[in-house]
Amino acid sequence: MLAWPEWLSDPVEKENSTGALCSGTISSLVMKRRHFLYAALGGTVTVLTALSSVPGAAWAARRVATYRTRFLRPPGALAEDDFLSRCIRCGQCSEVCPNNCIKYFGLEKGVSSMGTPYITPREQACILCMKCGDACPTGALKPIQRTRKDILENVRMGHAHVDENLCLSFQGKTCGVCARACPMGTVSIKVGFLEQPHVQAGCIGCGLCERSCIQLPQAIRIIPNYS
Amino acid sequence: MQRYLNKLRWASLWAVFAMLVILPLVSVYQVYVASHGYRLLSPLSKRFYDVMYFFTSPFTDDPANSLDVIKGTTWSGSFFGLKISDPLAAIGQVAASLDPHWPFLVTALIPIVFTIIFGRFFCGWICPATLLYELNSNVAIWLQKIGLPTGNLHFNRRLKYGVLALGLVLSAISGSVLVANIYPPAIVGRELYYVTALGGFGTGTIFFILTLLFDILVARRGFCRYLCPGGAVYSLLGRYRLFRIKRTVKTCNDCAKCNAVCEFALDPMRDDFGQECNNCSACIAVCPTQALTFTTSIRDIPYQGPGHLGHEFNKSGQDDLPGQVA
Repeated sequence: MLAWPEWLSDPVEKENSTGALCSGTISSLVMKRRHFLYAALGGTVTVLTALSSVPGAAWAARRVATYRTRFLRPPGALAEDDFLSRCIRCGQCSEVCPNNCIKYFGLEKGVSSMGTPYITPREQACILCMKCGDACPTGALKPIQRTRKDILENVRMGHAHVDENLCLSFQGKTCGVCARACPMGTVSIKVGFLEQPHVQAGCIGCGLCERSCIQLPQAIRIIPNYS
Repeated sequence: MQRYLNKLRWASLWAVFAMLVILPLVSVYQVYVASHGYRLLSPLSKRFYDVMYFFTSPFTDDPANSLDVIKGTTWSGSFFGLKISDPLAAIGQVAASLDPHWPFLVTALIPIVFTIIFGRFFCGWICPATLLYELNSNVAIWLQKIGLPTGNLHFNRRLKYGVLALGLVLSAISGSVLVANIYPPAIVGRELYYVTALGGFGTGTIFFILTLLFDILVARRGFCRYLCPGGAVYSLLGRYRLFRIKRTVKTCNDCAKCNAVCEFALDPMRDDFGQECNNCSACIAVCPTQALTFTTSIRDIPYQGPGHLGHEFNKSGQDDLPGQVA
């Protein structure tokens, strides 16, 4: 239990290292482009590592690291590469969001992500109203009906993960707040003894459990799914 | 009558700009009321909400939702359920994904048809950045009056086609719609939304302020003239526009006021409009003899010689024969 839990490592970093951001129906041209980007990224990382011996550069690198936050794309988003090539940064998804949970990147994720929407579930989680998909003109966010079936089939924002070291229910106190916050019910999260949460395969990653977790820091969090 | 078109244009520019501020404000306020409950508001807040509801209720189905009829910005939005997008958004998205998404491309059709008929009217009449750039030009003139140096360099106008091509190529390489980040109307619409609804300016503001400084310090109205990628698209589309400004040589007196007010540094006095003219009608408004008028023709008239009321024409002793070249 003392080992660093795997889910705490940055998912972006993990996926970059394996090079498996998305797979399947991507043309070879896009593949080449991604290899080029990885080469550029690798080069940048090498240069940054070399520079990090310099005190000022180390400070800058730490600043960069703090900005590499975990983020969710709005529901119905395409795989990250397709999403970036589709999204025209018009800002309409946030305009229709009744929950004000959609925010926009500045330069934190680089120029290619500038102006694209994201959600920080701990601040304000998605309530799955599915209005952003209707508002999106380019189909970067797929239009999805607000029905249980459609949402379960099409929304894959991420997957919740419970830290049993932090979760109150695993410490002998009955809590169960995350299970009650879940809009999808037992296909996504089941509770057992002392209302200990067990995330199921049907979790869509809306983040309402993370938003409602009473622990600080939150014991349940969404591992984003960018593919 | 046409000399009042410029006033109408300013009204249009201000209206678009005001919309970009007011709509997010209304939307935020409606969400605020919906989330707090009308009954829990103080009497004054209730009165305020009632006033807002009176004005917005014709345009919305559900007061808990924001306005339904007008959404988005000039970059991409919906107007009475009709989705409309900037042609540059469509082109940039195709370049980035290399895979045309037809339902989106169709939304750019209306602006494209209007541009083919009216030319760069978007640049002159709608673009929210144009308003700020024209006000910025006035600032540059004031700075000049108090003796501060302002830039008035001239570059090649074809530079903006290079910017467009470069933006599209970089979009294709990076797989991300980068033109959205260097196109002032998109930036202004987005940033106005960020500042009214999301509580702060975004990164695009820095770029926009740099373009304003470029206009003051390097070239008057330089970004629109030489660099704007959207302006390049509109120029290409509007090359054979149906509505264009024409000089009537008989009533022209060669005063050159039109050349002085032209924000795009064109030469109306010598019949030079080309694909750059954005039909802003500032030259029509300033013409003392009403020699400039809108007309329907798909080509400009070649240079007609000096105006017949002008000093140069009278000096040469010519009859009032049109088509004479001095």
